[in-house]
Amino acid sequence: MAAGVAAWLPFARAAAIGWMPVASAPMPVPPKDKRRAKDGLIVLNVSGTKFQTWRNTLERYPDTLLGSTERDFFYHEESNEYFFDRDPDIFRHILNFYRTGKLHYPRHECISAYDEELAFFGIIPEIIGDCCYEEYKDRRRENQERIQDDEEIDQSNDMVQQDMTFRESMWRAFENPHTSTMALVFYYVTGFFIAVSVLANVVETVPCGTAPNRVKEVSCGERYALAFFCLDTACVMIFTVEYLLRLLAAPSRYKFVKSVMSIIDVVAIMPYYIGLVMTDNEDVSGAFVTLRVFRVFRIFKFSRHSAGLRILGYTLKSCASELGFLLFSLTMAIIIFATVMFYAEKGSSGSKFTSIPAAFWYTIVTMTTLGYGDMVPKTIIGKIFGSICSLSGVLVIALPVPVIVSNFSRIYHQSQRAEKRRAQKKTRLARIRAVKSGGANAYLQYKRNGLLIDASKEAGQALVCKTNPTFDIQHHHLLHCLEKTTNHEFVDEKTYEESCMEVSMVKQTSRSSSISSSPHGLTCCSRRKRKSFNVPNSNMSVGLQGSVQELSTIQIRERPISNSRSSLNAKFEETVPLNCDQPYITAAVISMPTPPVTTPEGDESASSTDYSQANIVRVSAL
Amino acid sequence: MLTAIWETEGLQTVGIVVLVCASIKLLHLLGLINFSEDSVEDELELSAVRHRPEGLEQLEAQTRFSRKELQILYRGFKNECPSGVVNEDTFKDIYAQFFPQGDASTYAHFLFNAFDTDHNGSVSFEDFVMGLSILLRGTVQEKLNWAFNLYDINKDGYITKEEMLDIMKAIYDMMGKCTYPVLKEETPRQHVEIFFQKMDKNKDGVVTIDEFIDCCQNDENIMRSMHLFENVI
Repeated sequence: MAAGVAAWLPFARAAAIGWMPVASAPMPVPPKDKRRAKDGLIVLNVSGTKFQTWRNTLERYPDTLLGSTERDFFYHEESNEYFFDRDPDIFRHILNFYRTGKLHYPRHECISAYDEELAFFGIIPEIIGDCCYEEYKDRRRENQERIQDDEEIDQSNDMVQQDMTFRESMWRAFENPHTSTMALVFYYVTGFFIAVSVLANVVETVPCGTAPNRVKEVSCGERYALAFFCLDTACVMIFTVEYLLRLLAAPSRYKFVKSVMSIIDVVAIMPYYIGLVMTDNEDVSGAFVTLRVFRVFRIFKFSRHSAGLRILGYTLKSCASELGFLLFSLTMAIIIFATVMFYAEKGSSGSKFTSIPAAFWYTIVTMTTLGYGDMVPKTIIGKIFGSICSLSGVLVIALPVPVIVSNFSRIYHQSQRAEKRRAQKKTRLARIRAVKSGGANAYLQYKRNGLLIDASKEAGQALVCKTNPTFDIQHHHLLHCLEKTTNHEFVDEKTYEESCMEVSMVKQTSRSSSISSSPHGLTCCSRRKRKSFNVPNSNMSVGLQGSVQELSTIQIRERPISNSRSSLNAKFEETVPLNCDQPYITAAVISMPTPPVTTPEGDESASSTDYSQANIVRVSAL
Repeated sequence: MLTAIWETEGLQTVGIVVLVCASIKLLHLLGLINFSEDSVEDELELSAVRHRPEGLEQLEAQTRFSRKELQILYRGFKNECPSGVVNEDTFKDIYAQFFPQGDASTYAHFLFNAFDTDHNGSVSFEDFVMGLSILLRGTVQEKLNWAFNLYDINKDGYITKEEMLDIMKAIYDMMGKCTYPVLKEETPRQHVEIFFQKMDKNKDGVVTIDEFIDCCQNDENIMRSMHLFENVI
């Protein structure tokens, strides 16, 4: 019930007195009307912006936060008001809902921010008024699609190869040729053969000079029949193999067979096989020749290779109704004008308008403003109607075209946006990783500072320690507790990868503590999920200094660290194999800064700026 | 030969006539020419009726509500009807929201007429508040008077069986279809019969105000129910 109407409830109850004299049964007892507190003003302070309203206004909706006793949790005694630490701009709309009973959705707000506010105040979005509901739903759907898209892409990219069966990996290779080199090769080979086949079809019909015992020219197809036949056979073989492989790999064979692309595939290779079967029968050779026309459908196989073609296809499909309308109106106009022209030109002698269907050709040519000139009206009335015909043709064709164009533009922009998102994904992920590593850097720095607080008396360090805000201190303590709990320590990605490499090498070859700086060794660990525990191994720290730099720029100078690390080394080496095989996934921020460089580079300022950078970065990460 | 010429001539004339008619129709369609005199569609916007109620003191004097109560009532009233008056459609809408399962429009119509004491087609805040004052704070006599006024549709001082039947049907309409026991066609009629048996003392087929008040005052149930809604505001 709308809020305003709730204010009329007393009236409705009073009007019920009109039923009393005619009532056939005694009335029920009225509910105990607990004496409400006198209606007073409530002050709602939302992040500094003060809103005031009557208490009754808020209590119209007792199942929301503001209308129930839940708001008492936000009561601020000192200032005698209710304080909410939320967005005042969006709160305005929420309060208006209480006042007017209608919830509006402001178009300039982000949909997820708005949703959060609604959820916080306990208001279901379904009561958004009709004026704003469609917009709200559209934005919401768009947002969800976007998130879903990203998730799907995430999942598909993260899927490790060996998790899938051979069939699934084959299907994936077919659908997304960039996943492996094999798929890419296959993709290009099929593309090449499509092009070759289409070209052969075209060249077959070109006249190739006269044969020695013939008068007229023969086409190249007849002259080099064998060569073209061999080429055709080869192409059809490739296409058949490809089709069968796709059929084999498809997760849902039935769905695959029904899809457009598979139909195109079948239509492209059928004529060849039918031709093989039917060459001996003279009667149907005419039909066979017609079938060869279908070979041109091979060109549609290119749509797997070209996104633009696919977009065009989607556009036409989505504009089917507009195209249908165009066709229908054109047909109507053609029939009308053809009839008129026929009867107008009936009188003139030698006129080409022998029948109404014959006049169709003239009408079509005129309406599309082609004007071949093979049929022209000769009478005055015919010319008048002919000119009307051409004018109206322009109009009828120009009307549905903008609709089709706008549809195309919308679909095209959507695909562009998807591409852009995918491209931006990489930079976005890199940024997120940088931020996280900054956070972890701070912790490691703190640890080292903590460990060194007795050892090092460098003024800068001590200063830095003191200015650690309480939040950080408590957070670091928490991470420390976690380390103690699991008996593992936080380290950076590089050292983890190094240890991983070492373990793999250890497993294969003799145990060696030297690093092989070959980069491909890192791939064993680079495929793991990004969030994983890393294990320190000081033996590895020397050497790979400059490499993993794109994520973090913090260099830590303390040399003595290696001592502490090496002391823990023995313990860790037992646990290293464990870690490498099963990467732990935790919520803690883990990827690590570069290991301590053996030669102190940089200056105080560099490290302190780095630290302050970490400070800034850290806040946003946490 | 002549016929041939006439044929072509005739065809051409026909063609020219058709052309002219089509172009006139096209121009009319485009709005460039007008045929009828009064085709000018004046968009007479009914100027929004704005009504300001009498001052708070006067209303306080005329009704039995306190100042605070009048303030609360007015705020609710103005919220729903910013223009200051309720017309019948809005009234029906508001009332219908309280009875979603049935059709409250007929009863709301009668109610509207009961509230609209000066019969000007709209209920202003004064009418509203006067009506409520009687219903919630009035004496039993006044309430019964009001009820009689509601039932007496044509305001002639007598309630006939037809009027009562209309009212009864309106009340039963508010119940809607899904009732237990199922609503039958003759239920309102039976109810009216019962009512008349009780109220119509001299059996003349109509109920006068005195008969009504007398009868109601003798009925305990009715008396008790009159005090039901006193604490609504």
